[in-house]
Amino acid sequence: MNVTDAPPDRASRSAAGRPATTRRTLLLVGGAALLVACAALSLAAGSRSVPLATVWHALTDGDQSRDGLVVTGLRVPRTVIGVVIGAALGVAGAVAQGVTRNPLASPATLGINHGAGFAVVVASYALHLTHPAQYLPFAFAGAALATLAVLALARRAGDLDPVRLALGGTVLDAVLISWTSAVMLTSHRTLDEARFWLAGSLAGRQTGILLPVAVPLAVGLLLALAIAPALNALALGDETAQALGVPVARIRAAGGVAVILLAASSVAVAGPLSFVGLAAPHLVRKAVGADHRWLLPGCLVAGPLLLLTADILGRVVLRPVELEVGIVTALLGAPMLAFLARKVAR
Amino acid sequence: MTSPTTATAPRATGGALARQRRRTALLSTVAVTLLIALMAVGLGTGEVSVPPLDALRGLAGLGDPGTVMLVQELRAPRVLSAATAGAGLAVAGAILQRVARNPLASPDVVGVTGGASLAAVAVIASGAPAALISPAALGGGLLAAVLLGLLAWRGGFTVSRLVLVGLAVQSGLAAAVNLLIVRFPAELASSALQWTTGSVYGRTWTEVDAGGAVILAGIAAALLGHRQLSVLDLGDDSAGALGLPPKTARLRLLLLAVVLASVAAALTGPVGFVALAVPHITRFLAGPPTAGTLVLTALTGAVLLLGADLAVLHLLPVHGLPVGVLTATLGAPWLLVLMLRHMKPNAGSATR
Repeated sequence: MNVTDAPPDRASRSAAGRPATTRRTLLLVGGAALLVACAALSLAAGSRSVPLATVWHALTDGDQSRDGLVVTGLRVPRTVIGVVIGAALGVAGAVAQGVTRNPLASPATLGINHGAGFAVVVASYALHLTHPAQYLPFAFAGAALATLAVLALARRAGDLDPVRLALGGTVLDAVLISWTSAVMLTSHRTLDEARFWLAGSLAGRQTGILLPVAVPLAVGLLLALAIAPALNALALGDETAQALGVPVARIRAAGGVAVILLAASSVAVAGPLSFVGLAAPHLVRKAVGADHRWLLPGCLVAGPLLLLTADILGRVVLRPVELEVGIVTALLGAPMLAFLARKVAR
Repeated sequence: MTSPTTATAPRATGGALARQRRRTALLSTVAVTLLIALMAVGLGTGEVSVPPLDALRGLAGLGDPGTVMLVQELRAPRVLSAATAGAGLAVAGAILQRVARNPLASPDVVGVTGGASLAAVAVIASGAPAALISPAALGGGLLAAVLLGLLAWRGGFTVSRLVLVGLAVQSGLAAAVNLLIVRFPAELASSALQWTTGSVYGRTWTEVDAGGAVILAGIAAALLGHRQLSVLDLGDDSAGALGLPPKTARLRLLLLAVVLASVAAALTGPVGFVALAVPHITRFLAGPPTAGTLVLTALTGAVLLLGADLAVLHLLPVHGLPVGVLTATLGAPWLLVLMLRHMKPNAGSATR
């Protein structure tokens, strides 16, 4: 608990190196165990609750009963997608915050969600698409293009200017939001189809939807893990990082690419989800400290944990009606963000 | 964004100040001319066209009784509500950005538009008469501000806490609006979306009278309080030394911005972008903020919203688009170009 938000300095690490490492490992293992429990709950809970014994039975010997089919056909894909997307969003958030040195940065502030939303609404309007799986390439392209545009706007002399990054992101977001609603208002059919996707949901998707984004997800994750040590140096300020021999501009570009790959993949699969990318790094930083080499693996666990919990809540709260996970995350996230801001900001 | 320009202000010589004053006056004249021209066009065009000059005289109650009826009863409420709401939103954004010392602050950030949207969408959902939407929006905006105040209070306010908690409040309210839109049948969802994007359809004189009076009073108060804004720019310690209690002054100004934004949102819906962009546009055009540029900000907001509304009504082939779509589309490229042109030399020298 005495680990602060400040980047770890060499003295404290060498003095308390072993115990801190043990504690962090324990925390990670504990988090992973919690995630397994959460996944089990996600398989069992819902508008039709299934006893855990039946869940186990269905998973191991392919139970053909109705409960078994619900588990293998609906809940396993949903849980797997939740774990993958949660992990991607968590890591993307941590990298975005590290690269911009802004504790409130998240993939959502880079225009990812609204870029994808606009592309999906236009595609649905023009091509008469009806299924989330058909939206995937458009969402990915829209998210990636919007983020590239924001980063290009913020580029100056080969580096990213934080003020321009924030202003450009907000401006682009405002424009994309209003265009999205313009398209939806001109066509009732599009509004009816797209509003469910726009809320962000894990339901009604098969595991196969992850295949097209497997490569970008893997590359993004590797890239993020590779720049983790450099992000620690970046936290000390650009000039210090430069003096330490870290190629600041290149690290920032690599981080931007990692965020684009991870976040665009997740928005393509699950629709726009806010909050997970913002909250996971904060929670993990509280637990294991600000060292990115621990923060990123921590987010790999905390992201899915948050997303699955929100998804389970959305299924249980208004049973038999389901709340979209995107709405649950936003509603849960708001008080938490308020609490965080109350504590952090002086 | 704020720091380099405010830092250069004291260093500027009398000549530079005079030049800026002339520039602001010139730009304001242009804006007033544009505003009058746009009003004349707005009052004159429609199913029955009226020559612009006759339309303006009709607004004053002169000329052909038929024209007077047409202009005063049918067209004036819409034109006037667009102009006043644009001015109100722009001034609210300008005050928020200066008090929060954050170039991204806008009524969205303090939750006002989220509260207004949620209340209005709830009214639409409950099937209550449409006349209730405006008062509900006003109440929702103010309630959201009160909620923000309660959440951010910790034996006092700080600006960064207000902004951060405001972001949280706004995102929660937006999620609730989203929930209602997803749960609605498609027709209701459409009208809710229409409202939350901002539109000026079907305004009546009662709304315009009440809203316009409050907005004009608010802008006047902002002009009177401009000296306090400038003193606050110097920092809390200097402000205290100059005899201005920084905390209460800041709270007063924030409250003023919240009222302005809530009333404007009740008039036209939370038209996106005006509050965020107009202060930047004015700053890029006229330089560091003075009382004069605050007037220019109000005028630019009015021109932008009115022009966008006219374009939505008469130029676009698609009917029924909310005006918020066009303010963003018209304002964004302009803001981005100004940003790119302006920040290159300035920011380059600031880092060196």
